[in-house]
Amino acid sequence: MSAVPLTAAPVDRPRQTRWLLRLHRPALYTWAALWLLLAALLVALDGPLLDAAAQGWRQFRDCGMTERCDYDQGAILRYKDCYDYATVALNVLPFLVAAWAGAALTGRELESGTARLAWTQATSPARWLAVRLAVPALGVAVCTGLLSWLHHRAWAAGQGRIDSAKEWYDRFTLHAGGPVVVALALAGLAAGALAGLLLRRTLLALVVGVLVTGVVRGLAELALPHLWPPVTRLSTLDQGFLGDGLVVDQGMVTRSGAHVPPPSCDSTASCEAAYAHFTGRYNTYHPVSHLWGLQLTTTALVLAVAGLLVAGCFLALRRQTGPLRPADD
Amino acid sequence: MSSDTALRADALGKRFGRRGGWALRDCAFRLPTGRVCAVVGPNGAGKSTLLSLAAGLTAPTEGGLTVLGTSPAKARPRVGHVAQDKPLYPQLTVAETLLMGADLNAGRWDAAVAGHVVKDLDPRARVRTLSGGQRTRVALALALGKRPELLLLDEPMADLDPLARHELMGTLMGQAARHGTTIVLSSHVIAELEDSCDHLLLVAGGRIRLAGEIDELLDAHLRVSGAAAGADLGPHTVVESRVTGRQLTALIRPAGPLAGDWRTTAPSLEELVLAHLRGPGAPNPTEERAA
Amino acid sequence: MVDYRIDRHSGVATYVQIVQQTKQALRLGLLRPGDRLPTAREVVEATAINPNTVLKAYRELEREGLVEARRGLGTFVRRSLGAAPADSPLRAELEEWADRARGAGLERDDVAALFTAVLDKHFQGDPS
Repeated sequence: MSAVPLTAAPVDRPRQTRWLLRLHRPALYTWAALWLLLAALLVALDGPLLDAAAQGWRQFRDCGMTERCDYDQGAILRYKDCYDYATVALNVLPFLVAAWAGAALTGRELESGTARLAWTQATSPARWLAVRLAVPALGVAVCTGLLSWLHHRAWAAGQGRIDSAKEWYDRFTLHAGGPVVVALALAGLAAGALAGLLLRRTLLALVVGVLVTGVVRGLAELALPHLWPPVTRLSTLDQGFLGDGLVVDQGMVTRSGAHVPPPSCDSTASCEAAYAHFTGRYNTYHPVSHLWGLQLTTTALVLAVAGLLVAGCFLALRRQTGPLRPADD
Repeated sequence: MSSDTALRADALGKRFGRRGGWALRDCAFRLPTGRVCAVVGPNGAGKSTLLSLAAGLTAPTEGGLTVLGTSPAKARPRVGHVAQDKPLYPQLTVAETLLMGADLNAGRWDAAVAGHVVKDLDPRARVRTLSGGQRTRVALALALGKRPELLLLDEPMADLDPLARHELMGTLMGQAARHGTTIVLSSHVIAELEDSCDHLLLVAGGRIRLAGEIDELLDAHLRVSGAAAGADLGPHTVVESRVTGRQLTALIRPAGPLAGDWRTTAPSLEELVLAHLRGPGAPNPTEERAA
Repeated sequence: MVDYRIDRHSGVATYVQIVQQTKQALRLGLLRPGDRLPTAREVVEATAINPNTVLKAYRELEREGLVEARRGLGTFVRRSLGAAPADSPLRAELEEWADRARGAGLERDDVAALFTAVLDKHFQGDPS
């Protein structure tokens, strides 16, 4: 990210990466600052913030049921707030990438006509697009990967020490501390770039890129529980649902062994009548041991979607400029 | 494909959008190498579309276009293009823009030529601070620096004052004289191109109305005037004719010696172009010759 | 060396203007046998006219035997035109005469008319 030295080396291959970085220097500085801020927050969540909050919870527990309890509530709340901020930030990251890395990168160049300037140099439009996707993709993958690893570390460190720590299957925690967020950021990049290529307007592409990323995220959330075989545990009517984790399905077991949803009833009499048919309850869920299986399969799915979006980018470019490689015609 | 052809269009057509109108249709022409060609026509005639197609920026909807004996995509490294709005990266300085040109056209960049075009500009000035004319210079420097065999310039002189216009035209002509560069310039001002160009493509309504060597086109036409009563231009092709009072004036393409009492003069290029734009029915002599 | 000046509104074809101006320079002794004419590139860079126009004018001069093209070297003057170089006694006499005409109170147009009339009388029928 240093200034471009003002000498051109005699090379025969066009050097696009250098100019991509130079053209987007202000954006790179902004991304770097945001990344450092978030990384520092995540490191603090695994360090001083955690220690102070854990200390607070220990004091709270030691109080037992006494009337007056002297504990560091401020540290607990501070930790909780910071954890929430960091988790939300990681959840929002793919949308930011879609808007300010994907859409702005291609949409702005098409809107201002500088894309046409680039295409009339000795490099092909396909190479132009490839560099504009590959370089940010590498940056996004490495930076988001590091952040999600830091997040997972911070979350894991809080388990057992912070009473209010989020479960692994908390929706936002699940989508912050694993490879899924990296895949979502890459899909966001491709979605933004595709929107920019098709719409040729920065602002519009930005909005559409974010919307498409939202759709991908929604699909990922819907698909995630079904991408790994869940566990089903049966219990008697006297017991509650057995097993703790990401619930896929819960309900009642009939005499014939069929699984049906819990009946609705509003009075003791009607409920007793309704429950008379059942022999027990069932709980289909993912225990914590499924965490990585779910993360990796969902990541693969989102990456496949990202691949389709990238293919769409090249098709859109081809429709505009004709054959991408000289050998195509 | 012979290598003495810079541009060749066959039934070339371009439509924007599936239901949009045709920007170009049924275009057929051949531009030999080493020519300085004026692409003339009213605004919105399809001049920019034609240049975009030749530069490989736009894919044709139908027909074909051969550039320097190959496809537009393959010819890309050998073709320079300056779009009408002279797009440049506003955040780069003049010097950085040229360095980018050197990097993106590695192996064929001529820093001396590019530097010469922007010699009056402060190399440290950011592109966003430049005037329209100065931006034109930077854009032309980028296009000339890659030492193109074919240079496509869309309304290149629009932002320039007369002095700068003359100087840049001189640079372009020097480039053509030195390297035999084929230059295609579009403009809606004919007078601006008359001395510099030796080939003409007249585009109107998305079609090629006239194409060929300017000298040959001028030689093939006559301006005649005479008495309107009993005037018979018989076998000759009348491009445009007008009756004022008792007098008839016409621009014709004589098919042989002129019979009758006519005063004849050679038309100027501007007269020829205007007559063909006003008289839309006149067939293109180049098409006839090819047929 | 000769500097061509192209007048767009003269109605004279551009290449003819170059031919005429070269001949003028030959007559005035500004160009002498062995001198090199400016290259096409030098001319077009200064005048912004089409290179082929310059080449056409040079071919015309070559056809008239005034210049010759030497491959890779340029176009060179072969022979001079007329016998009135810029510093000839004839020119000195004409200068003296013009001076006297002015002294006698003649206007520029009067002198030009007088000179043209005498030219017409003495060079009747000669090509211009």
